[in-house]
Amino acid sequence: MDIKLIITGNGGQGIVFLTRLFAQTAVTLGHSVMVSETHGMSQRGGSVISHLKINGDEAPLILSGTADFMIALEANEAVRNLALLRRAGMVFVNADDGLRSEVGHHLDRLNIKVMRLPASRLALELGSASITNIIMAGFAAAHPAFDIPIKKMTATVEKISKNNAELNLKALETGYQAGRKIFSA
Amino acid sequence: MNSQPILGNEAIAIGIIENGCRVVTAYPGTPSSEILAGVMKHKKRLKRDVYTEWSINEKVAFEIALAASWTGLRAVVTMKQVGLNVASDPLFSAAYTGVKGGFVVISADDPGPHSSQTEQDSRLMALVAKIPVFDPSTPAEAREVIKDAFALSERYKIPVILRPTTRLCHAVQSLSIDGAHEPDDGIPSVKFHRDPPRWTATPKFRNLLHVELNKKLKDIADEFSDSPLNYVVNASSNGTMGIIASGVAFQTAQQALQELGARVPILKIGTPFPLPQKLVNSFCAQFETLIVLEEPDVCIEIQIQDRSHVKGRLDGSVPGAGELTPEVIFLVLSKALSEAGYQVNQPPEDPELAALIKGLPLPVKPPRLCPGCSHRSAFFAMKRTFGPNAIYPGDIGCYTLGTNLRAVDTFVDMGASITMANGFFQANRLVKDERPIVATIGDSTFLHSGVAPLINAVHTGARFVLLILDNHTTAMTGFQPTAANDYLADRMEAPRKVSIPDLVRACGVGYVNVADPYDQEDFIRTLKEAQAHAQSPDGGVAVLIAERPCTLYDQSPILEHPVPVVITEECDGCRYCTEAFECPALVLRPDKSRVDIDYSICVDCGQCIDACHKGFIIPKILEISRA
Ligand code: SF4
Ligand code: SF4
Repeated sequence: MDIKLIITGNGGQGIVFLTRLFAQTAVTLGHSVMVSETHGMSQRGGSVISHLKINGDEAPLILSGTADFMIALEANEAVRNLALLRRAGMVFVNADDGLRSEVGHHLDRLNIKVMRLPASRLALELGSASITNIIMAGFAAAHPAFDIPIKKMTATVEKISKNNAELNLKALETGYQAGRKIFSA
Repeated sequence: MNSQPILGNEAIAIGIIENGCRVVTAYPGTPSSEILAGVMKHKKRLKRDVYTEWSINEKVAFEIALAASWTGLRAVVTMKQVGLNVASDPLFSAAYTGVKGGFVVISADDPGPHSSQTEQDSRLMALVAKIPVFDPSTPAEAREVIKDAFALSERYKIPVILRPTTRLCHAVQSLSIDGAHEPDDGIPSVKFHRDPPRWTATPKFRNLLHVELNKKLKDIADEFSDSPLNYVVNASSNGTMGIIASGVAFQTAQQALQELGARVPILKIGTPFPLPQKLVNSFCAQFETLIVLEEPDVCIEIQIQDRSHVKGRLDGSVPGAGELTPEVIFLVLSKALSEAGYQVNQPPEDPELAALIKGLPLPVKPPRLCPGCSHRSAFFAMKRTFGPNAIYPGDIGCYTLGTNLRAVDTFVDMGASITMANGFFQANRLVKDERPIVATIGDSTFLHSGVAPLINAVHTGARFVLLILDNHTTAMTGFQPTAANDYLADRMEAPRKVSIPDLVRACGVGYVNVADPYDQEDFIRTLKEAQAHAQSPDGGVAVLIAERPCTLYDQSPILEHPVPVVITEECDGCRYCTEAFECPALVLRPDKSRVDIDYSICVDCGQCIDACHKGFIIPKILEISRA
């Protein structure tokens, strides 16, 4: 396995937690990881982006045009970072509607697929906007191309959650089930 | 062995603890802040007796660690690059006097910059101060190199600098942390011994020490030429071009070569100062063209003796400012390789898509103060009191974001709000500008370098209002305690805490008051009182302390007294609240017809009630009673 993953959204959406969730799971599976996180000023609400390489080189950042996947907690941040994806790359985005129409034909041309889930809405239904990130993790993990088993993700969530493991596990499962439904259709 | 994902700063901390370091001091600053937290975590894990402290500023931190080294213990001080400016006085002096126990200064640079006022290069500071530098390229390397850093420092009795950059500090790499460390030998039996020609060297001796320092650097440069920290990769490839790279740029260059489909020898420099001249000269002699990749400025490049074949930042082949991202390095190498006749691949990024996205009007969300942040309330009251006509010198911290509210007109460096206010007062007197001057500074920044400026302002008769935004923590960098807190770095109870009001009074300030910015009415009243003092014939500097804990750090006051709010039907989308108050939870509808509250991030502070001058933002209980 060799994965280059971009995780993006706005400060305060739990991007660092989401990144650690994948990194920790990959390491548990015996893979090497290299991650770049955003800390500091932009965590106060600005654009936040993480780069995650599983079994890749040791440079922290992913070269634009080579990422396999992107998980975006916000649609505008997904669009802003689209060029980071390679041809036939994949976007998992938290959104009610599709991405801006302007990018549509380029996505077709580059064979980039966009998978959409209204995760914020699901999170509020579960009782807290703060678990949107974990719902998106479950969603991505449900895709057959995304090579990180949900079982291991569940174990990691249990391990790294502080006092809200139960809600987090519910969020992961919700995203996963939603994904299975969407991807099998 | 069991691997774990470890943050770069934590990897550095592990290296510090594993190598028997006994004293670690720091002042927080992005991207260096997590090092001390890591030290505290791993000293516990390995049960090592290590003294740690968040010092009041970088100069203090430096000197406390230096004293430990002069005793014979291993010591580390950590800071961000601009913090090294604050500690530069002892830095230069310690290069001459030398050290006893291994002494490592960790100064984290911020190419970009991402969270700093400059892109200055600590390696250049080291060059000017004549101190050797280690420049690791990954978290794993950073952890390993600390052993070499201590050893070199002790062998040559010289302070050394370890220089990571943002991308290393905030990288997470899988590392195996158990098993590898050396056994704990316990506290060494050392003590401080007088050594007048060294520890109290007069100018005559300083001259001798300078001669000695130059000799040390020459020997170290030779030693570095044979050091395993400096080595060549892709050596077997033949061609006319070579690359010299250090830090994260070394890793990024390898990644770029892979994508370019070219094999080019890279001389990896792990010790940029003093440059291993012998090694560099023999590497350079093999090629017609050399590219130097380093961040954030030129340190290796300027030390190369024959630069006639060198392309880098000096001749413009590498951009003179900004981060060496994978894309920048790809372009630089692609151009240089093509010119040298190599076949290279096109950039993998789709140019059409990239150009389209660049041109899209995507909303740029600037960083903003958190929902419920007490700074916002203080700024709002300040603007309501003094209006757009006052001069607002600001300072460094979360509250620098007051620029969004036009409540911060200047920021220079830590503590400059007070000196700039002082300077504006004196200059304005000459040019007959009578605008009020209202400076803002946070609690941690005030203690870091605001006290001396305040004394200066009092003593020279300046008149302005100083607002000390006391939110009980160093919020921006991750909630480190200050001297005004009742606990220490490791959460142990502090023997004493400093009272900011008492301290201000002791500086000779004639008007000192404390008010809660959440109580707008009272806060505005005290602000007016402060201004009256600043203007009265026998007045002077007036200090108002805005006291309210950081909402992100301590939600308890709001949880005890939540004030949920609603915006009534009457809201007409005038945007006064979103612009003048700017709580991220106040959201203008896409059709601009009205403002809604994003309850998913609203913290029920109730502070926006005052932010609608038409009274359309009301407490929820009122809405219920209305209905
Ligand atoms: S972290 Fe605290 S001080 Fe900083 S913006 Fe948020 S609430 Fe304000
Ligand atoms: S009550 Fe008002 S000011 Fe406070 S967080 Fe909610 S929207 Fe923002």
